[in-house]
Amino acid sequence: MLDKKIVNNLDYVLLFGVFLLTGIGIMLIGSATHANVDSPNRYYYVFRQALFAFVNICIGYYLLHFDYRMLKDLAKPMYVLNIIMLLAVMFFGRTVLGAQRWIQLGPFSIQPSEFAKAIMIIALAAYVDKRVNTLDNLRGWIPVFAYVFVPFILVMKQPDLGTSLVFLAILLGIMIICGFKKKYFLAMGFGVLAAAPLLWGVLHEYQRNRIRVFLDPGLEPYGSGYHVIQSMIAIGSGLLTGKGLFAGTQSQLNFLPENHTDFIFAVAGEEFGFIGVTIILLLYLLIIYRGFSIAMNATDNFGCLLATGIVAMFTFHVLVNVGMTSGIMPVTGVPLPFMSYGVSSLTTNMLMITLLLNIDLHPQRLRFH
Amino acid sequence: MLNKTFAYRLEIMMFAVIAIIMILIGRMAYLQIYRGAYYDRQSEGNRTRYTTILAPRGIIYDSNGEELVNNKPGFMISLMRRGESYKPEVIERLSVILKIPESKIREIIDKSKDNYEPVRLMRNASPEIVTKIEENLRDLPGVMLEVQPVRNYVNKNLAVQTLGYVGEISEYEIDNGLYKGLKAGSIIGKFGLERFYDNFLRGTDGSYREEVDVNGRVVKIMDKVDPKPGHGLVLTIDAKMQRVAEAAVDKQLQSLGARACAVVAMDPYTGEIKALVSRPDFDPNWFVNGISEKHWQAINNDSFDPMTDKAIAGQYPPGSTFKIVTGSAALEEKKVTPEELIFDSGRHKLIDMRNANGEALGWIDFKKALSASDNVYFYEMGNRLGIDLLDKYAAKFGFGAKTGIDLDGEADGLIANPKYKMKVFDEDWFLGDTFNAAIGQGFNLATPIQVATMLSAVATDGKRFEPHLVKKILNDDGSVFKTFKPKLLGSLPVSRENLTLIQDGLKAVTQEGGTAADLGTLPVSVAGKTGTAENPHGRDHGWFIAYAPADKPTLVVICIVEQGGYGSVASVPIVKSILEYAFGQSTQKQGG
Repeated sequence: MLDKKIVNNLDYVLLFGVFLLTGIGIMLIGSATHANVDSPNRYYYVFRQALFAFVNICIGYYLLHFDYRMLKDLAKPMYVLNIIMLLAVMFFGRTVLGAQRWIQLGPFSIQPSEFAKAIMIIALAAYVDKRVNTLDNLRGWIPVFAYVFVPFILVMKQPDLGTSLVFLAILLGIMIICGFKKKYFLAMGFGVLAAAPLLWGVLHEYQRNRIRVFLDPGLEPYGSGYHVIQSMIAIGSGLLTGKGLFAGTQSQLNFLPENHTDFIFAVAGEEFGFIGVTIILLLYLLIIYRGFSIAMNATDNFGCLLATGIVAMFTFHVLVNVGMTSGIMPVTGVPLPFMSYGVSSLTTNMLMITLLLNIDLHPQRLRFH
Repeated sequence: MLNKTFAYRLEIMMFAVIAIIMILIGRMAYLQIYRGAYYDRQSEGNRTRYTTILAPRGIIYDSNGEELVNNKPGFMISLMRRGESYKPEVIERLSVILKIPESKIREIIDKSKDNYEPVRLMRNASPEIVTKIEENLRDLPGVMLEVQPVRNYVNKNLAVQTLGYVGEISEYEIDNGLYKGLKAGSIIGKFGLERFYDNFLRGTDGSYREEVDVNGRVVKIMDKVDPKPGHGLVLTIDAKMQRVAEAAVDKQLQSLGARACAVVAMDPYTGEIKALVSRPDFDPNWFVNGISEKHWQAINNDSFDPMTDKAIAGQYPPGSTFKIVTGSAALEEKKVTPEELIFDSGRHKLIDMRNANGEALGWIDFKKALSASDNVYFYEMGNRLGIDLLDKYAAKFGFGAKTGIDLDGEADGLIANPKYKMKVFDEDWFLGDTFNAAIGQGFNLATPIQVATMLSAVATDGKRFEPHLVKKILNDDGSVFKTFKPKLLGSLPVSRENLTLIQDGLKAVTQEGGTAADLGTLPVSVAGKTGTAENPHGRDHGWFIAYAPADKPTLVVICIVEQGGYGSVASVPIVKSILEYAFGQSTQKQGG
């Protein structure tokens, strides 16, 4: 049943990183959700995360049989579907923690904004691939910016600042690889700075608060600053070797909120210590390094653009999530790839890994072949 | 091809990612290594709750084993130590429920900043407040109800100046290291026996450390040190006699329209105090939870000073009770024989100083002079003795120095002499001053406890015992930790013969024709002496001092009513009530 050609050519270094992180993540989810304590449904989160990891591996393996270039044709319908989905969230979405991010599909609540990230990468790569020759001046970029802007605004409206910024990170990766000029970067940087007060006005009150609290966590030690303070205490108290799995007092006694989703890294810090989190961060570096390598070796622009977008997405997630749990970034709902509990997020990330493997497995066929 | 032509663009990105990961690892090193100890403490502080278990103070019993002071469980309202600050809305809600201003709550929190313990906001909260807190516990994160022992003065005002009261240690007491190892919020004895025996009564607080979750639910107890209850005290006080004495005092004060009084009842052969009364009084329970403004004003604005134990700190001219000293000195120094008759013409021959009511008794001997409290006779004794001899005997009888009773705040009293007068008033000493001293007026001052000790020495044929209030100190299992034996302070330099003469004179006081003939009706014979202390500020203070049975004394009772007028009028009824309690009702009263 296994396709020899696929099995022999897989990037096992990349897979090693992904599987290890997913495994560590499942252990930490177990710790954070008290799977060690005897209670009904104690394995609920662990089971679901493990199950979806397995399902995604199967789906991923199946998808490796197809050439990723098929996506070029699917890009536009996906883009449209994405817009429809995001609009659906706006009108039919379930509100959790002040943000409308979920829609209920049978037994699943899915978070379209997670899939939106994947779709954004594919759609943008396909869109840019067609225009790659027109991107040597600013005018050529305008349609690209517009292409990102529409879903960006929709996600921003949910409101999901984290995901909308992921779009920008993907765009940034694409801009760099396509040689967006330095002077334009500088000009845009100043432009954003100048528009900062305007952007401040666009933000929701709770988002502004998060930024205020980020600048001074002591501002509301029991309000929005609470997460960050408790998260920093958790990480810091892990010291060099950590308190051990299931032994983190911050997570076990629930001082750390949302500890199996967005703050899973704090649990890692508390239970595995500096040595543990360093290994985790280096595993992310390994995955990203393999991503770059695949981008480098891609045999067409589309593959290279895809790989760059994926790498940009992972990098942004790790930076923002770890930065937020350790108090150097404002709190935005960005999960840690492979480790945070969340079916939508895990699925998206695994699909992106599949896509990287696919790029690696399907070099351009020569024309005369 | 983008990647082939512009590989360096990917490399730049790769380096950027390496930099990002390095920054994140650096951040981890900062949090976990450089600041690790700090965050470790924070996480310990999160999960552990350290609570003191207050040691119950020792119980105070009267001589018959009746509990006078004990502890009752009280609800204490505290704020858990979690982080540095408390939610403003919690403080706001607490302020409304506890009726304590928010600023005051913040002040209390600030004061106990250095403690890792919960901040105690209110001790012994009322049931209404406890109910309100319990109902709103969900909206009051960090607020705790603890059950802790609260001092309870069972009989309220009874023997308040003797028992004293407890209160929170003051900043002054902490800053000056008066109580080693005690923290802000600790309860100490502030007054009376509670203060004098605080080291025994206090006990040692225990503690427990608990692991709690984010909602304050106890996950497990980490360690626990049981408190060590304080030592109990068995007093010499007889609560029943104390009640009788206080009731008699209150009744008498009301009928006289007077407000201040002191009573001492003691066993002359042991120095054990059986009853000790001081008026005006107050309820010590007022102080237990921090005294209210209203109660404090009531105590503070009372010109008769309820906080002063008049039995040990009130200083009065001893009045005619001092004639015991003058008489003893004159007999012992052979300045007069018991048989010598001295003519009382109503005034002394050298100076125009008279009897109190201007009466003249004619030719009288020592016994008559003492029982009738004749001033002219004792002026002559003063004249014959001189002030120096008089003062010498006064000191031997215990005047002018603390008796050593086991209470703080005892006064010295005063034995006046020419040097004192020169120093204080810049005046020479006159014969008239000696006359005044001889009858206990003028400069001399004595505390009721001194007068009681003086009379006890006469009753015991010369042995003077230190007065004391505590018979035994108990261990917390009820066994005896320490017993106090009678302590002999000294013997009177007066022969047995002469003391008998004095005693006979005192017995005559309660016979027909004596100044306290009222006491002749008691089932036992009583020896006594009235006295009137001149008071330049108002009505005279009335003394009556007595012991009974006259032949084999077991009880000395003395009483002074401030501004009560003549001793026979003011104090005799009080002493009589106490003697009746001790020895039985008057035969006349029973008959009629």
